Amino acid sequence: MLSFILRRLLVAIPTILILIVISFVLMFNAPGGPFNSERPVPAAVMANIEARYGLDQPYVVQVWNYVWNIVAHFDFGPSFKLRDYSVTELILQGFPVTLTYGTWAFAVAVVLGVALGVVAALRHNTWVDYLATGSAIGASVLPNFVLAPVLVLVFTLWLGWLPGGGWNGGQWQYVVLPVVALATTYLAAIARITRSSMLEVLNSNFIRTARAKGLPTHRIVLRHALKPAMLPVLSYLGPAFVAMITGSVVIDVFFSTGGIGQYFVNSALNRDYSVIMGVTILVGVLTILFNLVVDVLYAWIDPKIRL
Amino acid sequence: MAFHDPTAEALQRPAHPDKGRSLWTDARRRFARNRAAMVALVALVLIALFAFFGQLLTEFDGETVDFTLIGVNATQGVPSLETGHYFGTDQEGRDLYARTVQGTRLSLMIGIVGSLVAVVVGTLYGAVSGYLGGRVDGAMMRIVDVLMSIPFMFVLILMLVMFGRSLLMLFIGIGLISWLSMARIARGQTLSIKNKEFVEAAVATGVRPLTIILRHVVPNLAGVVIVYATLLIPEMIIYESFISFLGLGVQEPNTSLGALISRGASQIGNGVPWQLGFPLFFFVVMLFAFFFVGDGLRDAIDPKDR
Repeated sequence: MLSFILRRLLVAIPTILILIVISFVLMFNAPGGPFNSERPVPAAVMANIEARYGLDQPYVVQVWNYVWNIVAHFDFGPSFKLRDYSVTELILQGFPVTLTYGTWAFAVAVVLGVALGVVAALRHNTWVDYLATGSAIGASVLPNFVLAPVLVLVFTLWLGWLPGGGWNGGQWQYVVLPVVALATTYLAAIARITRSSMLEVLNSNFIRTARAKGLPTHRIVLRHALKPAMLPVLSYLGPAFVAMITGSVVIDVFFSTGGIGQYFVNSALNRDYSVIMGVTILVGVLTILFNLVVDVLYAWIDPKIRL
Repeated sequence: MAFHDPTAEALQRPAHPDKGRSLWTDARRRFARNRAAMVALVALVLIALFAFFGQLLTEFDGETVDFTLIGVNATQGVPSLETGHYFGTDQEGRDLYARTVQGTRLSLMIGIVGSLVAVVVGTLYGAVSGYLGGRVDGAMMRIVDVLMSIPFMFVLILMLVMFGRSLLMLFIGIGLISWLSMARIARGQTLSIKNKEFVEAAVATGVRPLTIILRHVVPNLAGVVIVYATLLIPEMIIYESFISFLGLGVQEPNTSLGALISRGASQIGNGVPWQLGFPLFFFVVMLFAFFFVGDGLRDAIDPKDR
């Protein structure tokens, strides 16, 4: 097990480095910089600015410095546009927010999705099943940027129950709509996957044995069926996690929650390269680590999988 | 009948009971029996007609600003048949019907181009990798693994910012994302195809590997590839809409469904629900239709339980 984790980490590290280098090369070759303005800056001033941000160094040195600062000091460099902030500060400010509603959304999607899938499988081909499957298909064609405005329209403008934006230190009223908007699509997908894999498991021999022994249904489901049925769901969770982090960009923009997604879009529009790169790399690292966790869990659930 | 008509005769002759049915005839029949898929297919055809010929039904184009309607959008720009603005107008007094037609067309094109790239690049890459096998296969698939673990949505946005927002960049970026899983699927299929007798026969007669891949392996991938490509289209449409929603996709005066939905969503409190409603309707119906057609194709071409 340990050697498996180590081996996967050994693959993950070059992947992360490739990601950093790709983003850096893109940034380096981009036409137009954050310091280009309509009024030309005197050459001496420009040289000073470039020295301040290390842009006068040779290419390779710049890449090296960038990577080294991230790895050694968790320092993504200064923001090009927000002069008094470093990218690390911006990330530390926004990330807790994203993490809060992201974790909630993730938990909601997994718990409700699995429960819905299991119930649909147990009541196979009844109205419960049709209702669950139908709404799951419906939810999967509603990406969060479609769902978010509809939710605000209904719950904020028509019913007036919940605020349509803001964060307010994470008060629950402000968290509900972002979580629902973020979780729904993944909840639906998880429910669909759980249902079909649960159906397969429920038809297998060991479940028939358990039934023949006269075990109650809840015991069969919880003790025998759930674990093997979770395998396909688990492999979906890696991509789902990435999609949720990406989807949080929409949430931040639409609900003005102040998570990292907001910085990402704002800096993309302002050509604040260092912030975009910082966020991209952060998300990339999280993605790779999360996929690793999923792989390890996979091996733990199914001992047949050779590490 | 006075004259000899071979077609009519052929039609009257009962189908020979022993006549073999090809895989594709079978698939077509199964698909035609699937009611949901057929309805979805009809919906798709209608949407395609709307996207490419809908412009002919209106006198307005999507770029002309009607200055008399600016600022009185909620009262004067209401959808109505009398004014000819079937879907109302937007904030700038432009005809929303024409813009929805334009946006649907762009979204449809993005979806199709993205999945075409996936079909061409992904299939060839996967087939070559699977056919050659061994160390080449290992290296090629490792590259796919590495690329897959990169959050491409972010890299795509990075690219759009760096190289300027253009339609071409959007097409390239979406194409870049789309081929990865197609390559994996094509490789998996190739692994089982390459051990079949007809490939062995080709090898034995000295056909070059590239020719074998193109002439013997790729055509046999067609079923899986078609199914996956259909399911990929809605995904690409969602990608593009997502980027356009953030304001990083297509630029004015061009538009896509994502951009229209974004505009409509930002006007949500101003009493102009049609700005969100009409684009949203076409978006949702189009995605639904693609999902059902894709599902139907999968059941038709690759049925697990016959």
